[in-house]
Amino acid sequence: MILKLVDLFAFFSVLLRAGTLVFQSVLVGGVIFVLWVAGQAPGRLASGIDRIRTSCWKLLTFSAIGLAVVQVLYLFVDSSVLMATAGLGIDGIVGANFFISGSIVFITALVTAVIAGSFRQIAHWALPVLVLVIIGASLMTNHAASRLEGRPLLIALSSMHELTAGVWIGGLPFLVLGLLQAKDVDTEWYVSQRFSRAALVSVGLLLLSGTLMSILYIGGWGAVLGTGYGVMVSAKAAMLVALLALGGANYLLLRNATKEEGLPRLRRMIEAEVGIGITIILTAASLASQPPAVDQLNQTVNLQQIYQRFKPVPPRLTYHYVVDDPKGNRTAGQVKGYDADGLPLTTYQINNAIESESNHHWMGLIVLAMGLMALLARTGKAPWAEYWPLLLMGIAAFIFLLADTESWPVGPKSYWVAWANPEVFQHRLAGFVCVGFAFFELRIRKQRRENDRLTLVFPLMCALGGAVLLTHSHPTTNVKENLLVELSHVPLGVTAVLAGWSRWLELRLPQAHRAIPSWIWPACFVLIGLGLLNYREM
Amino acid sequence: MTPTRSWISIFLVVLAVASAPETCWAHAILMESTPKINSTVKGPDLDIVLRYNVRIDAQRSTLHMVAPNGTVSSLAIAKQISQDRLQSHAAGLTSGAYKLQWQVLASDGHISRGEIPFAVN
Repeated sequence: MILKLVDLFAFFSVLLRAGTLVFQSVLVGGVIFVLWVAGQAPGRLASGIDRIRTSCWKLLTFSAIGLAVVQVLYLFVDSSVLMATAGLGIDGIVGANFFISGSIVFITALVTAVIAGSFRQIAHWALPVLVLVIIGASLMTNHAASRLEGRPLLIALSSMHELTAGVWIGGLPFLVLGLLQAKDVDTEWYVSQRFSRAALVSVGLLLLSGTLMSILYIGGWGAVLGTGYGVMVSAKAAMLVALLALGGANYLLLRNATKEEGLPRLRRMIEAEVGIGITIILTAASLASQPPAVDQLNQTVNLQQIYQRFKPVPPRLTYHYVVDDPKGNRTAGQVKGYDADGLPLTTYQINNAIESESNHHWMGLIVLAMGLMALLARTGKAPWAEYWPLLLMGIAAFIFLLADTESWPVGPKSYWVAWANPEVFQHRLAGFVCVGFAFFELRIRKQRRENDRLTLVFPLMCALGGAVLLTHSHPTTNVKENLLVELSHVPLGVTAVLAGWSRWLELRLPQAHRAIPSWIWPACFVLIGLGLLNYREM
Repeated sequence: MTPTRSWISIFLVVLAVASAPETCWAHAILMESTPKINSTVKGPDLDIVLRYNVRIDAQRSTLHMVAPNGTVSSLAIAKQISQDRLQSHAAGLTSGAYKLQWQVLASDGHISRGEIPFAVN
């Protein structure tokens, strides 16, 4: 029971840390936005800016309350587990570092909410102080504070990183809100330009601090691909490149385009920036829950092991399991399997790997076909390829009929009884979701209902799926095998995030500017399909 | 709230919630230990030293010894002389297979646990 509690804590821990980082960043961005970006305006824009500020104060209050709620939950979960497992009373908990830090963040967030809600006359000096207190307290529980060496430098870099990420990424939701609230292009242009200046300074400092921290926490090129930490930092960097591309395009628009020409594109690209930015923050939360690469240098996977696992081989589309003879010996000619270190796997492990690989490869085949058909459809020369969403039905059929190898038609158990198994139930539910997506996407394509908000469900689910892949488990046991799995899943996650947001942009951008994103997402589908087809566990 | 604004709010919440990981693992790693994993030591007295990669809170960490007959006893943790170490002492160990179970609270609030199997001759 107690051990289950620790595992449950582990589950909630990343969730609550992700929530903390998201709300904390939005709070930082919000303070800069209401006090500086929308803090003053030329007289002719005063009413528009007032409207923006009113909405942004509400979002700021909401973010502060959100941060307080997440912190109190974190304190409750962590304290409960410690009291249950370490035999401590509440008096023994209150002196713990996490408790002090969490309490400071909780109280400061509440004070921030009160000031943002009701005492705005002191906000111009109180809010920056409160934000710094929150960042300082949150730093008490991050990697930098727990290190034994180089602590002051790491704390300084982490502070800079969290603050600048907040100003840029955390400020984006306020910009989206601001653009929605401003009723004239002059006001929209004005806040966009001011935000762009703040973001530009932040991006420079964010990149500088991020690069230095990566060097200090990763420790060498071998660990970039050879450790889970290095792989996650690489994923974060890849998404940052996408974010910088969008930010750079916005920067150029603000300087070279006219207001009427630039704003329709700007609004939509900022939406995608918010999505990718939040995914980066979630990846950062996931990163904070695993050991820095420099602490796992004796458990890295080398390039030879990576090559062995990822060198292209024909996909496994059959379920030919290994069977031992009555004496327990493996029959000649059957599949052999080895782990990352070249040690032979047991029959049970091999059969598990065969099942998992075959499932991934079938799925890869379908996703690859979807991507290729979507690319063909994009050329405009193959109208039949517009029906690619029907392949989602193929995924559903696969899930309904083949994914559970223990029940009919693959296994001996009853198809209907298997519904009682929570995992099977979840999978089959996902099958229904695929049917739903197929229906929506097909309807959109055939009826050209591009302004229907339901069209956004599919890209959002793609991006969400990617985000889930990027914030999955990071076990400290069986490090090498898990890393090899991570090495295959993390690129899929990043590609899914890019696919989702490029499809979003294709649907949301003005018609004349959809060309680039309309090619990106089908290409991402092709890459995801190829990645799944090359997935291996032995 | 306009439909667009409510859509964005729902989206942000869903994004945060749906990104829940399957499991998370703490990042205090055991770097070295006395006794070493799967080692054989001499009894009946044993000085225990566990070194981690990060600062740990010894006051809120635990050590348990599982004896060859399965009985579990709690070990007192000595005053911390280095912020990355746990120290303790076990007495009265007879020959057989033991397991040292540890749980540490890292200074960042993460809880980690692990087990060191060893033998006494």
